[in-house]
Amino acid sequence: MATTQEILEALADYQVQCNNNKRLRKMQRDWTKLLHFFAEDTGGSFSMEVVKGEIISFKSGAEGTPDVVVTANSEDLCDMFWGDLNPNSKYLAGEIRVKASQEDIMRIDAISMIIWPDA
Amino acid sequence: MTELKKVLKLRTVVSTSSGMAIATSCYLAGIQIATIVEGELAWISILVAGLFCLLSSMCFSELTSLYPTAAGIKLFIQNAFNEKTAIIIGMFYVLLGISMVGAESYLLSSVLADSIRITTLFYDRLFWMIIFILLVAFINFRGIFVTGVVQDILTYSMIAFLIGISIFALSRNGIHIHPALSSAKFTLGNVLNAAGVGVFLFVGYEWVTPLAEETTDYRLIGKGMLYAIGILSITYSLFIVAMSTGLTHEQLASGSPIPHIIFGRNLLGGVGVVLFIIMSVLASVTSFNSGLLNTSRFSYAMGRDNVLPRIFSKLHPTYATPWVAIVFLGAFAITVSLLTLVTGQYMFLILMAAALECFIYVIMAVCVVRLRKKYPERERSFRIPFGNLIPVITMIVFFGLMIGLFADVTRDYTGNILFHNYWVAVVMGGFFLFTTAYTFIIVPRLKKKAAARARARARRRPARAKSGTEKTASR
Repeated sequence: MATTQEILEALADYQVQCNNNKRLRKMQRDWTKLLHFFAEDTGGSFSMEVVKGEIISFKSGAEGTPDVVVTANSEDLCDMFWGDLNPNSKYLAGEIRVKASQEDIMRIDAISMIIWPDA
Repeated sequence: MTELKKVLKLRTVVSTSSGMAIATSCYLAGIQIATIVEGELAWISILVAGLFCLLSSMCFSELTSLYPTAAGIKLFIQNAFNEKTAIIIGMFYVLLGISMVGAESYLLSSVLADSIRITTLFYDRLFWMIIFILLVAFINFRGIFVTGVVQDILTYSMIAFLIGISIFALSRNGIHIHPALSSAKFTLGNVLNAAGVGVFLFVGYEWVTPLAEETTDYRLIGKGMLYAIGILSITYSLFIVAMSTGLTHEQLASGSPIPHIIFGRNLLGGVGVVLFIIMSVLASVTSFNSGLLNTSRFSYAMGRDNVLPRIFSKLHPTYATPWVAIVFLGAFAITVSLLTLVTGQYMFLILMAAALECFIYVIMAVCVVRLRKKYPERERSFRIPFGNLIPVITMIVFFGLMIGLFADVTRDYTGNILFHNYWVAVVMGGFFLFTTAYTFIIVPRLKKKAAARARARARRRPARAKSGTEKTASR
């Protein structure tokens, strides 16, 4: 199980990778969303705010009404933020669950695909 | 359950489910039903088909409540059987589903070519066909979405129009049930065969299941499908009877691909033609647009999962749409459309789609039974009542309808044989063999290459201080 601290560290790296990727920023330039992540094995929750493709903040705890809710086990969440797993494969296997519009679901996967195409 | 900022309402679930089923090709399928039984009695077969589809929708509802995800059918089959079976059937479903565009674009192009003559009928059809597919591909390429409100307005307008015009036509033309009841065509066998074709009228209603992730209560999807099938049953029953009784014997015998336009002309003159052209364009564009949207996203996901070549997972740098998948499926749709244009066998594709739906409904019913056995305790917000009775009835009914379709022959209104339906089974068998061979030969190679790439890539996540808690990342 990944701890809250480990997931927050992973999120910090994820923020840097996303915000520094010009291609991703261009693609997501109209994407402004509030995302919640739930680690079902630890009960941990996290919020991430994206404004025009830029991750402007993230924190522990689910605050506000989200546009996107991602639920997975803590290890998968941590690996996903570090770019060590293909979220699409986990999603197709039903191990990562998402509540959002079809468009937003694809955009979340697109982030990982663009930053880490070989994951 | 966590609330989302935007959630789908039941109204939109119903309009999406019914909107996906309403297409220009439905008018032709309706005339085929009226040809098998008498036009005045077509409603019986349509209601029977609707009733059968209600059974299958219950299976979809239970499966969606178990796995409320856009990965839908693939995930149901993967968990009930295994990944290879899911890939074979998933690709089979997508390839044949997109083939339906051949019939739809041919019929829409016939509607437009009949009304706006530029050169010859053949070239006009070719022109409109390509314009139609390119337009829908462009909409998908640019990532333009039909919002819930627009979907509601379009679908409910189409339904209101069809019901209104049917009541008007029936009140004007009357309906003569008694002679039809004594017709030699009115037999149980014909009613059931026509119901097999009638399944086509509901094709696509289940494509609403991927929207489960946009609702707060998964049961809305099941409820929405039930309402949609009910609304479609009533709408089609009224309209097919009104249309078939509103055409002359000569018009029915002509085998025209645009019976609804002729019906509109008979009923309201030029205004009727214009109204039905608008209806056709709306029905075709909305149903094909949703079809291409779903199948291109499916292809993208397969590309990301290394089941299709990686190029399928390419996204447009500005619009974030899976443009390679859209271009490939658009090109495939144009190829099938050209074949339909040259052969004129649009009924072949309509029957293939009906048989494909029957096949998928059988598979879904099997999935319900297998998943109940594998995961009896897993939470389901909806469970079909009476144990396995309804899934088993669904399997028997749709397997029977599929076999009945394959064993039949397709005739025109005057009774001439157009083709033997076993050819539909042969073509479908060919597609199935192709997806099976692909899954067993190509997919393992793609997976092997992906695994090698993943191994070559260094793990980014820092190792923990305590080695005992370290876990290898899933790739």
